[in-house]
Amino acid sequence: MSAELTVRRRDERGRRAVRRLRRTGEIPAILYGHGQENIPLAVSAKAIDQLVHHGTKLVDLRGAVHEQALIREVQWNPLGNEILHVDFFRVSAGERVRTTVPIHLRGEAPGARHGGVIEHVLHELELECPVGSLPERLDVNIAALDVGQAIHVRELELPPGARALAAPDLVVVHCVLPRGVAAAEEELVAPAAATEPELVRRKPEKEEPAE
Amino acid sequence: MALMPKRVKHRKSQRGRLRGNATRGNRVVFGDFGLQATQAGWIKAQTIEAGRIAAQQYVRGEGRLYVRIFPHKPVTSIPLETRMGKGKGEPEYWVACVKPGTILYELGGVTEEQARVCFARLAHKMPVRVRFVRRRPV
Repeated sequence: MSAELTVRRRDERGRRAVRRLRRTGEIPAILYGHGQENIPLAVSAKAIDQLVHHGTKLVDLRGAVHEQALIREVQWNPLGNEILHVDFFRVSAGERVRTTVPIHLRGEAPGARHGGVIEHVLHELELECPVGSLPERLDVNIAALDVGQAIHVRELELPPGARALAAPDLVVVHCVLPRGVAAAEEELVAPAAATEPELVRRKPEKEEPAE
Repeated sequence: MALMPKRVKHRKSQRGRLRGNATRGNRVVFGDFGLQATQAGWIKAQTIEAGRIAAQQYVRGEGRLYVRIFPHKPVTSIPLETRMGKGKGEPEYWVACVKPGTILYELGGVTEEQARVCFARLAHKMPVRVRFVRRRPV
């Protein structure tokens, strides 16, 4: 599913210009792909923030350009609370694209009622998929997951024409028995033997036999 | 026994400076929620362990706690009532160097309310300012 996003062509370039742009509530972006020219754009920070948090991958750009594009990369500040820059990649209807989609768990696992703990191991999956069937997220139903069972990448229901690029044996989610506090506390404690770590020393070269 | 490396190249290290923000280890990767430093500082191995125990006792084996920092840096000190000079002191403890943005701990398999309570207990033990963060959208 694609969402509409209004963009403006950006003439100002460089660090100081984009900082000024961000202060006005816009975010620098770029549109590229299909061997056509790269177009620097500016988009509303609020609009792109909503789209990214919603998990939208496909956008219909309106305003300065009229094209369909994939949100290929989002750059964040080091604290992870502000978007700094967005890459849009031109796509056409029948094209196959590679992208990462989040995996969401749905339902209540019977294993959790039987004393197990649900461990969500794989939170996102890289897919190769036709643009038309690109999902915003993959929902995994864990309503049949009991203690000791796992759901693997090969068991995921993918949209038509999609192919997972991760190993098929990779565990997405599993239900395990709680390890208990004692076991968890032992987990990280280093062996009590050494009080100081061993030194990495270069091995002494073999002495040449005396003449 | 607190955390420390198994093998090191040098017994002692210089203090160094903590400049700028964390450009690595600043995303929630393993769990659903994280505790992020908003200040730079050294976190002692003992403090990391204390935080882990505080969180583990709250979670009680239900969720999964991930410790994302490790004390790689030795800190030396000179014994009391020692005259100045005679070289650098002996290694006393180990610290993790933390920059603003670093994720210190992560928690998975619990609700957001539980994670907030758990991290609030843990945050009291930290020598740097921290905040609660969620997993960043893909």
